[in-house]
Amino acid sequence: MDAPLDRPVIRWPALPGWPIAFALLAVAIFIAANSGAIKLGLADWQALLNGEDTQGAMVLAQLRLPRVAFALVVGAALGLAGALSQGVFRNPLAEPTLLGIPGGAICAVALMLTVLSAWAGGLPAAWRPFAVPVAALVGAWVMCGLLQGVARLLVPGAVAGLLLAGLALNALAMAVVGLCTYLATDEQLRNLTFWQLGSLALASWPIVFVLGIAVAGALVLSRRWGQALNALALGETVAAQVGVPVVRLRRLLVLALALLSGLAVAWCGLIGFVGLLAPHAARGLVGADARRVLPLAAWFGAMLMLLADTAARTLVVPAELPVGILTALFGAPVLFLLLKRAQRELGGGW
Amino acid sequence: MLLLDDAVLARHGQGFGPFDLRVDPGERVALLGPSGAGKSTLLKLMSGDIAPTTGRVLLDGQPVAAMEPRVRARRRAVLPQSHQIAFGLPVELVVSLGRWAGENHDRWVRPALAWARASHLHGRRYDQLSGGEQARVQLARVLAQLADVRGGLLLVDEPLASLDPGLQLELLDTLTGFCRERGHALVAVLHDIQQALNGFDRLVLVRRGQVQADVLAGPAALPALEALFGLRLQALQAPEGGWALSTRRLEAAA
Repeated sequence: MDAPLDRPVIRWPALPGWPIAFALLAVAIFIAANSGAIKLGLADWQALLNGEDTQGAMVLAQLRLPRVAFALVVGAALGLAGALSQGVFRNPLAEPTLLGIPGGAICAVALMLTVLSAWAGGLPAAWRPFAVPVAALVGAWVMCGLLQGVARLLVPGAVAGLLLAGLALNALAMAVVGLCTYLATDEQLRNLTFWQLGSLALASWPIVFVLGIAVAGALVLSRRWGQALNALALGETVAAQVGVPVVRLRRLLVLALALLSGLAVAWCGLIGFVGLLAPHAARGLVGADARRVLPLAAWFGAMLMLLADTAARTLVVPAELPVGILTALFGAPVLFLLLKRAQRELGGGW
Repeated sequence: MLLLDDAVLARHGQGFGPFDLRVDPGERVALLGPSGAGKSTLLKLMSGDIAPTTGRVLLDGQPVAAMEPRVRARRRAVLPQSHQIAFGLPVELVVSLGRWAGENHDRWVRPALAWARASHLHGRRYDQLSGGEQARVQLARVLAQLADVRGGLLLVDEPLASLDPGLQLELLDTLTGFCRERGHALVAVLHDIQQALNGFDRLVLVRRGQVQADVLAGPAALPALEALFGLRLQALQAPEGGWALSTRRLEAAA
């Protein structure tokens, strides 16, 4: 019996754990903000706090801090989205990217940037920054709905079946994206390609703010519905039997999932595996209780993303790697380990 | 308290019912019948998991499938046949989920585990337990759900199938004692005729999607059981008051 091995490594106490987590986060923010093409140090932070107009303080305030904050909220959003989709689909491998949810978002944005571009161009200028996020949101949401329908009808309860359904839907979405690329004019193509490459370079405080609200909302949701999410692990029938309003809960969770996943894609393109690694790391630390996993998955997501983005900014100075490449490079091997483990836990036949 | 009034269910091209049944508070009813006869389906109608196509299924006078889930969960609990859980949740968390609709999520976890003879599993991971241990944890979850309610309804689908014989009898006693103390009605899908006769008041015999007979548990039920299963049954008086059955196939008897 290998029970002790798989139990939470650390008994994470409800309160004292979080100060440690925030301390680590503060250290990470400090290091991340200091590194880059121009090395910064404590003196620059002091200058910033004193309101001095030095070059270091400017770089910190206008470039580094928005970027770091953006990495944190994107990471938290991806981590939460991963944890939520695992809960909704009752599947430890149900990562949004693997399920093709961002694919739906990309498809919707591609359609908007090409086929509907005349319409989008006709939007009032003030609304235009919102057009891409809204399209991404709708795309992600539709994809979630389709995935649930397909998985429920064709392959109820099957772990591999869900992933394969996601694969098929993703292929469909990518076919539409390809068609859009084919039909696009040169200028549309440039817009589309630039957007699809995706990185955190678009960082700005308003974006951080909007995404931050989405993350905070999802955290509040997870606090209120955490135990219901645990009940969902028993199966939808049993969850309903203990009193959980399953239909309402599922709608709410799918909406939150689409919001987090869609917004993250809208502003920084496709970043895979953070949503897979963060919840798994969280579960390894505190066990499977959704009430603890969700906030901790947000924390792990934020830390992972900060690490990846800092690496992306500093490895090939003065150029910058697309951060999605880095997360895939490190995330994909971990997926193999998780597959192995899932096979051991669920048996060979899934 | 539970009333099935001409309830018919059409499902997967198969017809179930019409069912006309009444379960009173504190009553213990066993559902018996060959595999695939529709026992579990009847239980799902009673639990409100599915609504009847026509007719009514009423719990305390209200259509059970249309009740607010939270309210319904305070009135009836269901122990399902299969016990799959998606993640490696800790045992005590699984039990506390039974309390989702009620107050005091954790107050009843230890007592419920003790009733289900599963106290030693506290702190373990559910997915690493054996089938019999998982069944006991699920039983504890269901007991926790109705621990502080009176006159509720407990529906169980083969709760004892994966347990060893000693534990089967022990948990059957727990289950009936739990219901007696709180005035709960108990409806159980069973396979073991012996257990049904000894632990229950009434036997509802189901065959081909219909109630074939509704009899009191006692020697008088034997002919109906013989007809249901195609068996030759003989009651043997046991010295300490209970009684045992001798079971043979019809051909062997002839």
